[in-house]
Amino acid sequence: MDRLVVIGRDELPRKVVLGAGESLRLTVVVPQGVSADIDFTAELTGPGADLDLAGVFVPAGSDTVRIRTLVRHLSGSCRSNQLFRGVADGQSQVSFNGLIYVQRDAQKTEAYQSCNTLLLNEGARVETDPQLEIYADDVVCSHGAAIGYLSEDELFYMRSRGIPFEQARRLQILSFLSPVLSRLPEEYYSLIAF
Amino acid sequence: MIMNEVLLDIKGLHASVEGKEILHGVDLQIRRGEVHAVMGPNGAGKSTLSAVLTGRPGYEVTAGSVRFAGADLLAMSPEERSWAGLFLSFQYPIEIPGVSMTNFLKAAVSARRKAAGLPDLSAGEFLSLVKQKMALLKMKPEFAKREVNVGFSGGEKKRGEIFQMAMLEPVLSILDETDSGLDVDALKIVADGVNSLKTPQTSSIIITHYHKLLEYIVPDVVHVLKDGVIVKTGGKELADRIEAEGFEGIDG
Repeated sequence: MDRLVVIGRDELPRKVVLGAGESLRLTVVVPQGVSADIDFTAELTGPGADLDLAGVFVPAGSDTVRIRTLVRHLSGSCRSNQLFRGVADGQSQVSFNGLIYVQRDAQKTEAYQSCNTLLLNEGARVETDPQLEIYADDVVCSHGAAIGYLSEDELFYMRSRGIPFEQARRLQILSFLSPVLSRLPEEYYSLIAF
Repeated sequence: MIMNEVLLDIKGLHASVEGKEILHGVDLQIRRGEVHAVMGPNGAGKSTLSAVLTGRPGYEVTAGSVRFAGADLLAMSPEERSWAGLFLSFQYPIEIPGVSMTNFLKAAVSARRKAAGLPDLSAGEFLSLVKQKMALLKMKPEFAKREVNVGFSGGEKKRGEIFQMAMLEPVLSILDETDSGLDVDALKIVADGVNSLKTPQTSSIIITHYHKLLEYIVPDVVHVLKDGVIVKTGGKELADRIEAEGFEGIDG
């Protein structure tokens, strides 16, 4: 199943359970100007269950974005992938707390998580806390969180081609968010407002 | 436009990076229609010269002047320099994931046309321009759909730079170590591209420390840059002499 949830417009389920062979491709958008408090749990309970979760957030001003995810691998041979990209401007505050839990006998689990955020303003605050709790030994898991700034080299490259400063910055942001944006129909880009 | 008019006039250029002076007074004059080579050993200041001319942040001009087509180049932002017709083929082209070469160049061409007071190209006009330039450089059509420099081989990156150059039709192109990392076949393709874009009104600066590229793009003038100053200027034969003797014996 393929689902798109726009925070402030749609309801995000607090919990989903994926049984054997079930898959969910879920994309969550936190539009600019919307504060969000996301608490999402997924349980993978049968072999072949597959969760593909992606989220994009673009807080500015005094927006607050809190994201907590818990992905529980309760059966072996399941796969989960979480991909979050965000850009924090103004005085916004972001916290990301993601936990991957792999039960003792859930062998052949594949679980990935990454949350990368760009800071556009010194006033913005980002805290990320990715965690793994793994009790099986035959698993492939990875998690990563990075906080960074727009690349000066990339900006100069664009400007040297005549792309004006402001437009170059917008293009850089779109480039950074592209792994998640590529999952959305283009009319949703306006929610991102860059 | 007058041929043989001075296009670029660098006078007494001093430039520093992080407080350390790299260029100690560079004088260089380039006329329309000319190809100049700037050669020199590593650390001579070649890349600093191209960075200063294109306005790369972090490079500070402490003395001297640069006139480009009569205007004060150093007073312009990097994008204004591009609109005025300056182009740099990067030694290390930057990857821009998620942005296709087509969209990237559409943004660049549109901005440039806007700055020149020209109407924007329609999508169809733009795509036929892309096709035409790719054919000129013997490139495969799918190249334009790829993300800018992402997953490109060294040779593809350099060809990509020349493709951008073709799209932007600069008046002055600076090719910074365009030959580095290219095998002979890729070098020939890049050189053919540059040669096919040459006009009597446009000029180029070829920055290199090898002789090889200059066999394919024959310079009118060769300068040797050492320790931040141009120590010698001559014709093509100067490049031949460097090939035979190295930079050691060449001093002002």
